[in-house]
Amino acid sequence: MNSLPLYFLIPSILGAILAGFVCSTMGTFVVRMNLSSIGYCMSHAAFAGAAFGLYIDVDPLITAVFFAFVTALLLGPLSEKARLEGNVVMGFLFSMMIALAFIFLYAKPGDAATGKALSILWGSLFSVSYNDVLLLLVLTSTLIIFIVIFYKELFALLFHRKLAEASGVNTRLFYFSILFFTGFAVALSLKLVGGLLVFALIVNPTSTAYQFFCDFKKIMIASPLIGIFSCLLGFYLSLTADFPIGASIVIVSSLIFAISLVLSPKKKKGYLFPRKNVTTEKKVL
Amino acid sequence: MGKKTPIIQLRSIETIYEGERIPVIKDIALTVNEGEFISVIGSNGAGKTTLLETINGILPYTGGSGEVFGKDIIKHGSDIRKDIGYVIQNIDVNPLSPFLSKDVVLSGRTGKIGLLRFPSKKDWDIVWESMAQVGMIDFAKRPIGKLSGGELQKILFARALAQRPRLLLLDEPLSNLDVNSKRQMETLLNRIHEQQRTTIIMVSHDLHYIPSCCHRILVMDKGKIVMDDDKKTVLGSKIVKQLLRHEGVL
Repeated sequence: MNSLPLYFLIPSILGAILAGFVCSTMGTFVVRMNLSSIGYCMSHAAFAGAAFGLYIDVDPLITAVFFAFVTALLLGPLSEKARLEGNVVMGFLFSMMIALAFIFLYAKPGDAATGKALSILWGSLFSVSYNDVLLLLVLTSTLIIFIVIFYKELFALLFHRKLAEASGVNTRLFYFSILFFTGFAVALSLKLVGGLLVFALIVNPTSTAYQFFCDFKKIMIASPLIGIFSCLLGFYLSLTADFPIGASIVIVSSLIFAISLVLSPKKKKGYLFPRKNVTTEKKVL
Repeated sequence: MGKKTPIIQLRSIETIYEGERIPVIKDIALTVNEGEFISVIGSNGAGKTTLLETINGILPYTGGSGEVFGKDIIKHGSDIRKDIGYVIQNIDVNPLSPFLSKDVVLSGRTGKIGLLRFPSKKDWDIVWESMAQVGMIDFAKRPIGKLSGGELQKILFARALAQRPRLLLLDEPLSNLDVNSKRQMETLLNRIHEQQRTTIIMVSHDLHYIPSCCHRILVMDKGKIVMDDDKKTVLGSKIVKQLLRHEGVL
C-alpha cells in the first residue's frame, strides 16, 4: 500500500478532508438538536437506495444519494404532521428503510449484488472519484455560505426554537435546511466512510469539542477541525495498517473523544466559571 | 393623554391545539391600547399562556379574527413578531449548553436585524444596554448553562428588551426570582413602561407583585376572560378572592 503513487490517493485524501468537514459541521447542529438518530436513518436510507440501484441496474451510489435526499426532505414534514419528536420519526424511517433494503436484495439474489450494497455501509478507501470530490466541494462551499449568512438565525433556532420563532425567525425553514444539509453530508460521505459509521463522524468531533468549549462559535470552528484531523489520521491508519477506512476513522475519532473526556477542563470542579458573589443588580437597578 | 390607538384587537378568538377538539381559549374579545400595562391572572390551565401565544401568532387562532399593530396575526405573523418581545415561562437548559449570555441576548434581535444582514455595532450597544438594565452585564461571557434560574430569567428578559419591542408579552417573568430580584424587576418594568411607553401584557400568579404601573387586570378561567377591569376593582372582587383561595393564598 505504501508504494502507491500519490496521485492515486489524492481524491481519497481530498474526500476524507471534505467528508470530515461536512459531517462534523452538521454534527454541531445534530448534537444540539438531539437528532443523533439522523445518522442511522440516513445511512440506512442510503443502503436501501443502493439495494434499489442494484435491483434496477443503476449505479448504486446515485440511488443511495437519492434515497438519503428524499428521506432528508421527508423527515421534517413527517415529524410535524405526526406531532412526534424527530428521533421517533427517524426510528420509524430507519426500520422501514432496512425492510426496503432487504426486499430489494431478496428480489436480486446473488453475493455480488449483496456485497456491492453492503460496501455502501462499510465504505472504501479507493472508491472516491474526482466527481465525488467535486460534489463534496460544492456541498462544503454551500454549507459554509449558508452558515455564515444565516448564523444568527441558526443560533437563535439552536438556542430555543419557540423563542426564535417569537423573535420573527422562520424556524421551520431553517430546521428543514439543517435536515436537508445533514442528509446530503451523509449521502456524499457514504463511499468513503460507509453508512454504518458515518454517524460517528457526525457525533464524535462535536462531542469532543463540547468538552473544551462553552461558546457555540468556538465549537463550530473546533468540530470540523477535529473531524478533518480524525479523517486524515484514520486514512493514514487505514493505508498503513490495511484497516477498513470507515472503521479506522471512527476508531481515531472515538479515541480523540475518549482522550478529551480525560483532559476536559469542564470535568474539573469550578475550573471554568467559579461562582462569585453577585452584586451587579444593586449597581444597575 | 391623547387619542388611544389600539395595538391589539381580538374578536371572538378561539384557539385549538392541532389534533385536538376542545378549544383552550374561546370567545376572547380584547382590545389593548398602545402604552397599556395589563396583568393576566387565573388558575393553572385557564389559558393565560395560550392567550399570549395567540397574540404573537406562535399558536395560530382557529376561530374569530385578530390583529396586532393593525395587521392580521396569521397573515403577518413573522412580521408582527419582530416587534413583540416574549419572555417564556420556563426553559430547560442543559448545564453544557454552549451559549454565552451576550449571544443569547443578541439572538432576540435576529428578526429585527433581518435576513442577510449581520449584527452591527448599534445592535451590540443595544445588547449591552439591555443586559445593564437587568443587572446582568457582568454575566455577558458566562454560558447560560452556568446561570441560576433567576439569572437565566433575567437574561431572557434582557433578550426580549434587546428586541426594542413595541409590545412585551411576559409569561410569569418573576416566577424564578427571589424577593429582592422580584422587587428590582418590578421597578424595571415600571421604568420601561413609563419611559419607553412599551405596551406590556404580563401573566402572573403572584398577585403581590403586580407592578404599580399596571392599571388593568384580566382574569381568565376555563379559557375565557371572566373579568376585565381596573386593578382596584379586580383585586377587590369576589372572583379574585375565590381564585386566591383556590391557589391557597387566602
